[in-house]
Amino acid sequence: MVKTIQLGSRLRYPITITKLYKEPNQPIKKKEALFQYSFKWKRTVGDNIRGETWEAEETTYADWSSPSDGELKSWKIRVGQEISRDQDCMVVKESCSHDVQFGGLCAICGKDMTEVNWAAESRDMDRAPINMVHDQTHLTVSETQAQKTENALQRRLLQHRKLSLVVDLDQTIIHACIDPTVGEWQKDPSNPNYPSVRNVKSFQLDDGPRGVANNCWYYIKMRPGLEDFLKKISTMYELHVYTMGTRAYAQNVARIVDPDKKLFGNRVISRDENGNMYAKSLQRLFPVSTKMVVIIDDRADVWPRNRPNLIKVSPYDFFKGIGDINSGFLPKQQGLLTPSAAATTNGGLARIAPAPSPDKEDSTTMEPPLEKALEEQEKTLEKQIKDRPLQALQEQQDKQDEAAERASATPENGNTESTTPPPPHHRHQVLQDDDRELAFLENHLTALHKSFFQAYEQNRLSQPSSSPSSLDTQSIPDIGSILTTLKAQALSGCKIVLSGIVPIGMDVYRSEIGLQVASFGAELRSSVTGDVTHLVVSSQRPRTKKVRQAIRYLPKIKIVNQDWLAACFSEWRVVEEGPYLIEGLEDAQKKLNEKVQDAEATETVSDADDTDSGNAPPGKKRILRLKSPPRVRFATAASTGNDEDEDEDEEDSDSGGDDEDEDEDMDEELEAFKPTDADGQLSPIDGLKTFNWGSADEELAEFLESGSDDEDEEEDEDDDEDGDNANGDEDEEAPAQATTNINTTSSSYEKLPAAQGTAPPTKRKADDEEEEESHKRQKSLLGPGPSSLRNELKDEDVEATTAEVETQAAHDDQDVQDADDLDKEFEELDEEALEADFLAMDDSDGDEAQGQQVDGDEAGNGGVSENG
Amino acid sequence: MFFLHNLERRVTLHPSYFGRNMHELVTTKLVKDVEGTCAGDYYIIAIMDAFDVSEGRILPGNGLAEFTVKYRAVVWRPFKGEVVDAIVFSINPHGFFCQAGPLSIFVSSHLMPEEIHFDPNATPPQFTNNADMVIEPGTHVRVKIGGLRTELGEMYAIGSINGDFLGCLQA
Repeated sequence: MVKTIQLGSRLRYPITITKLYKEPNQPIKKKEALFQYSFKWKRTVGDNIRGETWEAEETTYADWSSPSDGELKSWKIRVGQEISRDQDCMVVKESCSHDVQFGGLCAICGKDMTEVNWAAESRDMDRAPINMVHDQTHLTVSETQAQKTENALQRRLLQHRKLSLVVDLDQTIIHACIDPTVGEWQKDPSNPNYPSVRNVKSFQLDDGPRGVANNCWYYIKMRPGLEDFLKKISTMYELHVYTMGTRAYAQNVARIVDPDKKLFGNRVISRDENGNMYAKSLQRLFPVSTKMVVIIDDRADVWPRNRPNLIKVSPYDFFKGIGDINSGFLPKQQGLLTPSAAATTNGGLARIAPAPSPDKEDSTTMEPPLEKALEEQEKTLEKQIKDRPLQALQEQQDKQDEAAERASATPENGNTESTTPPPPHHRHQVLQDDDRELAFLENHLTALHKSFFQAYEQNRLSQPSSSPSSLDTQSIPDIGSILTTLKAQALSGCKIVLSGIVPIGMDVYRSEIGLQVASFGAELRSSVTGDVTHLVVSSQRPRTKKVRQAIRYLPKIKIVNQDWLAACFSEWRVVEEGPYLIEGLEDAQKKLNEKVQDAEATETVSDADDTDSGNAPPGKKRILRLKSPPRVRFATAASTGNDEDEDEDEEDSDSGGDDEDEDEDMDEELEAFKPTDADGQLSPIDGLKTFNWGSADEELAEFLESGSDDEDEEEDEDDDEDGDNANGDEDEEAPAQATTNINTTSSSYEKLPAAQGTAPPTKRKADDEEEEESHKRQKSLLGPGPSSLRNELKDEDVEATTAEVETQAAHDDQDVQDADDLDKEFEELDEEALEADFLAMDDSDGDEAQGQQVDGDEAGNGGVSENG
Repeated sequence: MFFLHNLERRVTLHPSYFGRNMHELVTTKLVKDVEGTCAGDYYIIAIMDAFDVSEGRILPGNGLAEFTVKYRAVVWRPFKGEVVDAIVFSINPHGFFCQAGPLSIFVSSHLMPEEIHFDPNATPPQFTNNADMVIEPGTHVRVKIGGLRTELGEMYAIGSINGDFLGCLQA
């Protein structure tokens, strides 16, 4: 209550104290004059018009007013003292420190805190900046008050040997959806899902979303074992609810989870009181010390400041594909560990939706303004109501038609392409209730509780001053660091490489999964080496470069799918890899070993080729991405003749740059089986090594960009003529090949030969047109080109390109013969293994590749993807 | 304190409502718009009657008719020092919130009798003197308003139960 008050920075220093109006122990009031001071200053006097002005020094006397009410205890200044800068002037016992404020009123003295006046430098509002109450936003407290409250809390918890546990609702302890289908299933005992949805609880919200979703039913599924879990955990922890749902939603869910209000009491905080739509913060509830607070949440990214205290649980996804209905505001999650198809235990039933369902993605890519976000959220909910039942029924129809696994695969593919929200999947029983997370979580929390109090006792004993019986808040250890050490033991010793799990263009070490891997004490590596213990592969893309590299070390390195990692994360130990191993790799390795013995590390094309074909088992063990996607016939190297057409095609597209992905894949493919240890760079077609592909690619890319430049810039057109011409000449031959090639290329190119053939005299013009078109097409395949390069195009570039192209053609002539056998092999493979492979897996793969789930080491391929 | 207050308000009516019962409609709209709102430092509790409805004036531009309505309403203006009965709805370590009609009042733990303290272990948490006084959500309390502040359409009040005959009401 006693406060030292300063003079303030607004005075015109230096000042001299001339008179003190008040004696110590006198009451003072706000804005009352307390002492008088004088200061000297210069005033300009004289005649302004004639310019006869001079400065005269003047002395002014002023009063200093009290900034607060109370009683003056003592002065820190005396009469006659000259003060040159801000300093303490008096000690005051304030009548009210305004520690608790409600809506701008001091809750103790009832004065208006929003008032601003000349006497005080800061507003009284700023004395109580902390909002720490669960269910109110208008009640704020000062730091001292917060400290007092929290101290009392900690003492009480220590007395009961408890800790605080902040619990998230959605996808952590419950899963909610508003799909009316659930209600229908609940009423229909004949439905295969009836047993699963029978104990799904539901409620309606008065202040729920407007529009279609108004008055909808919310269906709440509790995580299996929740009741027991909470009951046991509540003996060790005081539970708080912290959710991004609305207050009404949170309270309704709390009522379902905890009907007697014994577990959560009134300790429920929702997004309405959070004060932030995008992040949660422990400081909102525990502003002073988070030493005794643990969080369980399914999302780590919403706790930017409290990661050490967080136990991330795997999201509970009961209503498949729905995701979190309250995450509309949150930024989209990236790089999630979505369980693989196999993990859903139901044969071919695949989960297609990444945790935030696709229908939400558009709303959450940026941090949208609040109203927009609300709107989007409503839309999302509406969509769920409108679309779900139909889709669900359709799915069911499919299921009835055919129980076979293929049946479920087909509609799923359809769904993926149209990006409509996936319906809850149906098989014999769609909604599986086989989640075991809470059991593990209970163990972790128990262990954490135990080690916290061990550490606490130890700290207390080591401090001799404290008596053993008293509760000592000084010796409270930080639970964040205890949790960190506990977690770090979980996977220590593992050296893990991720492949196909973190989206390209994302730093693996900063990605959610990367951070988690590190937090569990495992070492995250970026590339496969001999001492790596685990390679974690996305089960959707199990054939990446890293996998091929890892095959060499196979018995030592465990190649597992992402479910292994997820299991480790939830069990906090190195889980038995057996069920998670990627199958079929042993064969590949055996083959590889045989090959190494057979052919002593020769690097010729034909050898590589043999290895290739030899290594492809009849099943789907290998992918050779030779199946040509729609490809642009471009003038380069077209003059080499028709026999090598297929081969040409490969080279062409390569130089055109539209197929880097495939091409590289092929190279990698071959490399992986090369007996030597060489890591990259070596092409199976050795002769081409001398040719600088990089520069050719670049130049061609530049050249391709020029197509639009022709339209934009008139002056350039003349310059370009030469280049166009040169290419046009070559282009004459291209159509001839194209005709033979048309089966493999897309039909949109049929137009090309037709136009060429009809009008030889106007051929050049036609060529130009063709070329422009093909440029466009190519561009559309290429994605946005390097626009900075566009304007730099000059005719010498074009000439250079043509020259390069010719040399390339020459090279091709040589290599083509070597590569010819290879190609035949490839073609054969193409027929049997690849077709199946592509259909089964790579189709969806290709689609996804653009957005996500692309191997980190293929980052260079950026926007290019197979549109096969 | 309650007052009978004469007030005036401009009510606009959409052209589609123009007709014989216009004045009735105007009154209905007035009631709908005004009743139960906070107008500055008082709440309009109920409208007694609209004793004067002026002639309508067509607003240029949108065609709405504007009526000036004089009406009489029961208003409640809480005063500092006034004693009101309220119902508790939320409790936290710093104090409790209670609601007197439309006004929510915060009673800080500083403004409670010495013997009343916060008990966080009770379900639900409560303020109690371990005897007859138990304050938890739903309890009826008598509080003295210690401070008031109005914001646009909102009022905040601070209460005290430190005094004779204040605190829990034994029903």
